[in-house]
Amino acid sequence: MRPQKLEELLETIFTERECGRDDAASILAHTNERHAEGKCTADFAVLAFEGLVSLSLDRVSLTQAGEVRAAFVVRRHRLAERLYTDLLDLAPDQIEQQACELEHVLSAEATDSVCALLGHPALCPHGKKIPRGACCDLSEIAHPVVPLSQLADGARARIAFLASRTPGRVSRLLPFGIAPGSELRLRQRAPAFVIEVGETTLALEASVAREVFVQPL
Amino acid sequence: MEAADRGLQPDTVILVGNPNVGKSALFGALTGTYATVSNYPGTTVAVTRGRMRSGLSTLAVLDTPGTSSLASTSEDEAVTRDILRAEKNAVVVQVLDAKNLRRGLLLTAELAQAGVPLALALNMSDEARERGYSIDAPLLSCLLGVPIAQTIAVQREGMQQLREAIAHAQPVRPFVLKGASVTERLVDVDTLLALVMTQSNAGRASPWAVRLDRLTTHRFLGLPILAAVLYVCYEFVGVLGAKLGVDFLENSVFGKLLVPLLSRALAWLLPSGAVQAFLIGPAGLVTGRYGLFSMGLAYGIAIVLPIVASFFLAFSVLEDSGYLPRLAVMADRGLRVIGLNGKAVLPMVLGLGCGTMATMTSRILETKKERVLVTLLLAVGVPCSAQLAVIFAMLAGVSAGAALWFVAVMTGVMILVGLLAAQLIPGRSSEFVLELPPLRLPHPGNVVIKTVSRIEWYLREALPLFLVGTFLLWVLDRTGGLLVLEHAAAPLVVGLLDLPRETAGSFILGFLRRDYAAAGLFAHYAPFARAGLMTRAMEIEVVVALTTVTLFIPCIASFLVIWKERGAAFALGVLAFIFPLAFGTGALVNVLMRRFY
Repeated sequence: MRPQKLEELLETIFTERECGRDDAASILAHTNERHAEGKCTADFAVLAFEGLVSLSLDRVSLTQAGEVRAAFVVRRHRLAERLYTDLLDLAPDQIEQQACELEHVLSAEATDSVCALLGHPALCPHGKKIPRGACCDLSEIAHPVVPLSQLADGARARIAFLASRTPGRVSRLLPFGIAPGSELRLRQRAPAFVIEVGETTLALEASVAREVFVQPL
Repeated sequence: MEAADRGLQPDTVILVGNPNVGKSALFGALTGTYATVSNYPGTTVAVTRGRMRSGLSTLAVLDTPGTSSLASTSEDEAVTRDILRAEKNAVVVQVLDAKNLRRGLLLTAELAQAGVPLALALNMSDEARERGYSIDAPLLSCLLGVPIAQTIAVQREGMQQLREAIAHAQPVRPFVLKGASVTERLVDVDTLLALVMTQSNAGRASPWAVRLDRLTTHRFLGLPILAAVLYVCYEFVGVLGAKLGVDFLENSVFGKLLVPLLSRALAWLLPSGAVQAFLIGPAGLVTGRYGLFSMGLAYGIAIVLPIVASFFLAFSVLEDSGYLPRLAVMADRGLRVIGLNGKAVLPMVLGLGCGTMATMTSRILETKKERVLVTLLLAVGVPCSAQLAVIFAMLAGVSAGAALWFVAVMTGVMILVGLLAAQLIPGRSSEFVLELPPLRLPHPGNVVIKTVSRIEWYLREALPLFLVGTFLLWVLDRTGGLLVLEHAAAPLVVGLLDLPRETAGSFILGFLRRDYAAAGLFAHYAPFARAGLMTRAMEIEVVVALTTVTLFIPCIASFLVIWKERGAAFALGVLAFIFPLAFGTGALVNVLMRRFY
């Protein structure tokens, strides 16, 4: 089996489990066509032979080794989605297509640097969990990332990443200097959030403040 | 001259920059004439043009609205992009706030990608020095490959340097600031900043300014400040402008001096009755005399001008002080209920001065839905200063209870219309993201120039309308048309609203300007109020009439601006909506008050 097809199957087993399904039929039905053409139940036997899944009747579950492999593919996919959404502002169908390609080619080191660039995001643009990497744990010890809306009045913080589900919102904040790496000070939280970035003072509504993720300093 | 290498001699200079970097002041310093200098993005809505000398030739200078990014979605920021695209033979001068270089350079990066010949003006360089920033301008100029001038526009410093920079404008060096995404450009900018700028922590903004700044947006303490600001404005506009100013101009200058003088002079010069009536007017039925001079000019100048002038003066002071965006922060929650956000408070407040101007200012809002909502609310219920004066005068004649009825009904209708319209009008509202410029002591010169230019605008728009309106009335009065119209309107006014027949005339005036109508009502009821003879029934009449008139379309001028800004279909739709709304509300208030008041 081609490695792409194998990863595609593992990824689907992982995501189907998130939806509470583990039967072979629904996994095959949801597997990406482009990279897993000619998929059939026999493929699971190959995975089982490689020690990545265990089968019982028509149920499929990941072994420990399979779990690691699958989580890594899902991690790369969702980080790629974040990358394309937050920084490049691509159209949704473009994002999906690009993310599907990138998930098979990113090396472990490259994945961690993308993760760091985005500020170790916890969720993908669709609100699903991004499996954590070693880099996330390290950063959390040093600087936990919280939404701006949870920062205390008067606190200083460094912007880690901007995570918006509404396209265009993030790109609106960037010209004000609200971008990953910038330092800010939260002046007040009500009646609106007021932040100072350099010499710019900006008022934001709470829903925008919830989408700016920062590391308190 | 490098610009000449590209073949054509440039003939235009375009000023571009973030909001509040002193662009308009620089425009004034370059051209010698002032544009509106403002703290809020949006007041330079119409692009200002001027001319400057450069060597032997003169160049056209265009002042664009303050813009954060060329990729912005708000109508007035998009103007900048369109101008850059349209003016092929132009030099761009980007004005930067020297103490906020990072943001300025982000815009420079966008201009670099556009490939336009560029010169930079590092403005407010004195403030930057005070705050402890030191900028190596020659190095920055060398790195970017564009000429840079350090300026203090309000003091007209560095202008010679800027003229030279304009003459040597160049596109930004290739490969500098050429990041493809905003994030990449930010990295570029930060690298550049590390090379050219150092900050010592010695200077910060003065402590009282910082403290006051905090208070103005404080969730509790901000409210008394807001109340105090409103109170001072009311005292200034309502008492100084509307009472003392109007009293002086109307009674002393026009009533006692000009009108009698002119009528005597005319009686002697032109014995013809019709011409006399045309200029001075016969003894009138509803609003006194319909003479072009005695009513048109007297009303336009004696009654409206002092109010409008004092309002614009107060508004300019507020605007230049930087308080208005803070007001937007305080009002955000409230406006959210009716589908708007804090930004909408600016056109609304301006609407208390002149609805026509405010309708044009709705361009600063980001989505079409918000612009439509604000336009509608301005048309429905925000009374302009001319009308406010008459409303105050009339409410002074009735009991506090009746006045409260009026205020409650108007507030209720506004909220109800806002709530409904927010649900019915398709599209989305934008998020509230608003820059708060530093609080500053307004520069008296700028305030005066700005106020004068607004008053000029108002007179140009409104005064001809007063004269046309008065002329129409004169024609109607002479031909008997007024009586016919009064007859036609009578069933509506008398039957539906229970008002005396004579007030029908003022409703017809209301189609020209709603304050005309209110003034007509005032003339009808004022004698009773002055004599203390107002009955309960009359108080109800006053509230019903005022409510109906206030809900009308503000005036023909504002209707035309709605047409121009939002299209014919919308303008006619507003008309079709407001007419039944005004009369329906009036009728309802009549029924309710007769039962419960």
